[in-house]
Amino acid sequence: MTEAGETVVRLEGLTKRFGEGDTSILALDDVSFEVRRGEIVALLGLSGSGKSTLLQHIDGLQTATSGGGTVLGTDLAAAGPAELRRLRRRIGFVFQQFHLVGRLTVLENVCQGALGSLRGPRLGLFTYPKAVRERALEGLERVGLADWAFQRADTLSGGQQQRVAVARALMQEPGLLLADEPVASLDPESSGQVMRLLKDIGQQRGLTVLCSLHQVDLALSWADRIVGLRAGRVVLDVPTHGLGRDDIMRLYTDLEEEVVLPASDAVDADAAGAKASDGDEAPTGVSLEEAGRR
Amino acid sequence: MTAVLDPAATGTRRTLARPAAAGIGAGLVLLACVAAGVWAFASLKINVPTLVDSAGNAADFASRMVPLDFPPLGELLGLVWQTLAIVLCATALSVVLSVPLALLAARNTTPSAPVRMASRTVVVLARAVPDVVFAIAAFRIFGLGGMTGVIALGLHSVGMVGKLYADAVEEIDEGPRNALRAAGAGRLQQITGAVLPQVLPSLVATALHRLDINLRVSVVLGFVGVGGLGYALSTAIGRIDYQRAMALALVVLLLCFAAESVSGAIRRNLLHQEEPRGRRRFGGRSTRALPAAATTPAEPTSVSVAAVPSEPRANSRRISHRWDARRVRRCVLLVLGLALLVASAVRSDVSPAALGRGLDSLFPTIGDFLPPSGGGIWATLFADLWVTLQIAFAGTLIGLVLALPLGTLAARNVVRSPAVARTFRTVILLVRGIPELILAIVFVVVTGLGAVAGSLALGIGSVGLLGKLVADSLEEIDSGPARAVLAAGATRRQVFFAAILPRAWPAVLAHLLYQLDVNIRSATLLGIVGAGGIGYDLLNAARVLQFDVVTTVVLLILAVVLLVEGVAMWLRKVFA
Repeated sequence: MTEAGETVVRLEGLTKRFGEGDTSILALDDVSFEVRRGEIVALLGLSGSGKSTLLQHIDGLQTATSGGGTVLGTDLAAAGPAELRRLRRRIGFVFQQFHLVGRLTVLENVCQGALGSLRGPRLGLFTYPKAVRERALEGLERVGLADWAFQRADTLSGGQQQRVAVARALMQEPGLLLADEPVASLDPESSGQVMRLLKDIGQQRGLTVLCSLHQVDLALSWADRIVGLRAGRVVLDVPTHGLGRDDIMRLYTDLEEEVVLPASDAVDADAAGAKASDGDEAPTGVSLEEAGRR
Repeated sequence: MTAVLDPAATGTRRTLARPAAAGIGAGLVLLACVAAGVWAFASLKINVPTLVDSAGNAADFASRMVPLDFPPLGELLGLVWQTLAIVLCATALSVVLSVPLALLAARNTTPSAPVRMASRTVVVLARAVPDVVFAIAAFRIFGLGGMTGVIALGLHSVGMVGKLYADAVEEIDEGPRNALRAAGAGRLQQITGAVLPQVLPSLVATALHRLDINLRVSVVLGFVGVGGLGYALSTAIGRIDYQRAMALALVVLLLCFAAESVSGAIRRNLLHQEEPRGRRRFGGRSTRALPAAATTPAEPTSVSVAAVPSEPRANSRRISHRWDARRVRRCVLLVLGLALLVASAVRSDVSPAALGRGLDSLFPTIGDFLPPSGGGIWATLFADLWVTLQIAFAGTLIGLVLALPLGTLAARNVVRSPAVARTFRTVILLVRGIPELILAIVFVVVTGLGAVAGSLALGIGSVGLLGKLVADSLEEIDSGPARAVLAAGATRRQVFFAAILPRAWPAVLAHLLYQLDVNIRSATLLGIVGAGGIGYDLLNAARVLQFDVVTTVVLLILAVVLLVEGVAMWLRKVFA
């Protein structure tokens, strides 16, 4: 059992470079910070500033070029594929695009969250143990969608699908919840529901939540603490208490650190990295945005 | 910025693009193809006198084929059932073999490149070896009966089914799979959890499509000893009993129409169910069309999700799907389908013992076919290969000449009257439904054995597919540019040539080249029933047990097809 205040994530000099030589892109540049148990942290920054890449490193989905850290007691640099998989089972991950299997029922999608703790492949709701199905239904109740359990997942609205994705992540009984722009493709009302859900669940279960966002106001009212990334570097790490909007906006507008890389290379790096999030409402800095793209 | 144009410069500027070497080359190749078609047309003596001569034959033939002589009903139904059983089993076999092959061949499910290559090679080989050759080989092992057809059709089908399955697997949305991976699921769990559910509808649709094709091919394979309608047909023709032959041909035709409408209905139903699939990236509740209101519980109106009681009430709830009418129907259909499949397997003598026998004699049989040899008839083989090519070119040309106007008239965005478009669609659909074999037999009887019959059969047969593809490619292009040209005051004909044809043309060309490829294979096949070309040598070699000659014929055809495919790929790239 973990104590309150214990460190859940500790990153030390995490650096990630995509590609080789002159055309390589520095996606994460010497990132170091700690997250304690129960903290609700928002990760801010322009599209391509490294938010998604950082979250994927914490989940063990990518391996660092240098540096590393400890997540839930697992040393990221030292862990092999099997150990990283065991780590992933203890970390819930919520995606921007929900990533539900549209043809399957809502309940089966939630049950899939338990695959890591089950042996062998599963196809069809009846192949999941009864206990798993019951737990999945509890999860759906928690996100307010139990009545929709046997609908096809693609008949739900975007906000509902994201709540199903949250329920799926809860099936892992995670020690840490990561969310990558979970509301970037939702309308304001659904966004509010999903963000409240993430925070409430985090607080009730003493769960650490690390969530990348690009709405500054939402981050200010939602998180305990804000970590700001720019061009792969941590440029801001402050508690939200007493913080104003203007303090944050510097993250987007202050261009004293010029980073210019050829845009054509950025495209290759984009393909190499994970899906970049689109539709960012970044006010300025096209070169910055292009430069940092994974 | 200098926006002022230099008037002197405009006079010397090019107003036409500099022609590219590749473009010229590709144009010449296309011209050569058309010339080859015309020349083949002429040298095969497909001309008015021949057709007039045939008119007499046709009248003669018509008098010889009536009255149609149907076998007794019981025997007829037996034949139909035997054919259907073989086709069902063969398609099932191809699905069972194709699913693992496709998973091993798809980039996203198999990271290892050598494994992917091996799997792709198996699939390509299955497609490259004609079903007739599989049938000849299977006949050696299993003799006259069901197993020959099941093995021959099943193995050859892997070539198409496996490829389409692999494509379907590669086209899935990777998101759900990444989500399962992020949750620590293993590879197999990711495949069953996120890959198979996504590809299931296209798996079923592809299998049904192949079922139609296999039904047609199974009749041809009757000529090399696959039981059922085709065998009865081939013996009737052998006896020059045209009354019986045409009666059976009519049954085959009706059976093909029936099978196509059933599988078409199922596929449409399947696609209809898939309609709400589109991922709603920006979907809020406001933009969403609710599913049938009666079955949809209202979402809790309270926005505060946190207020939902966290008290678990799960024990009082059902955790499996309710048995509603749709689910019951689905299960009943599934059970009926499986029962039909088992019955087919029994009828086609599929048994572990038979399979064991097949495995035992697999390598000796392959040995019979190797090494390839000319059997001392190289000159004949090359001459007949040439004739086969002529048949394919002439057939494609006939098909094109007929399909272009038909397909254009069937395109809704070209023809003003929807009724006209619908009528021509129906004509094309009907032509498409007629198996080429039936056309070939009719033409063989009318124009006599030989290449003319083959060309005409292929030509008419091509109209079905080409006409549909022409109409589809015309309809698929987006209407924006056409509207823009129309808005600029152009006439309908100008719109067609300016905004529709240039954009549909690469697709039409691609379809045409594909049809040529198909026709070369078909020309070989039709030779077996006496429509001229190298197919006849294939059948003869099999009859006199010169299996090494069979291999030679296959390799010759394969070389030609590969050559045509290479040229086609290049042309598509140039004209894309």
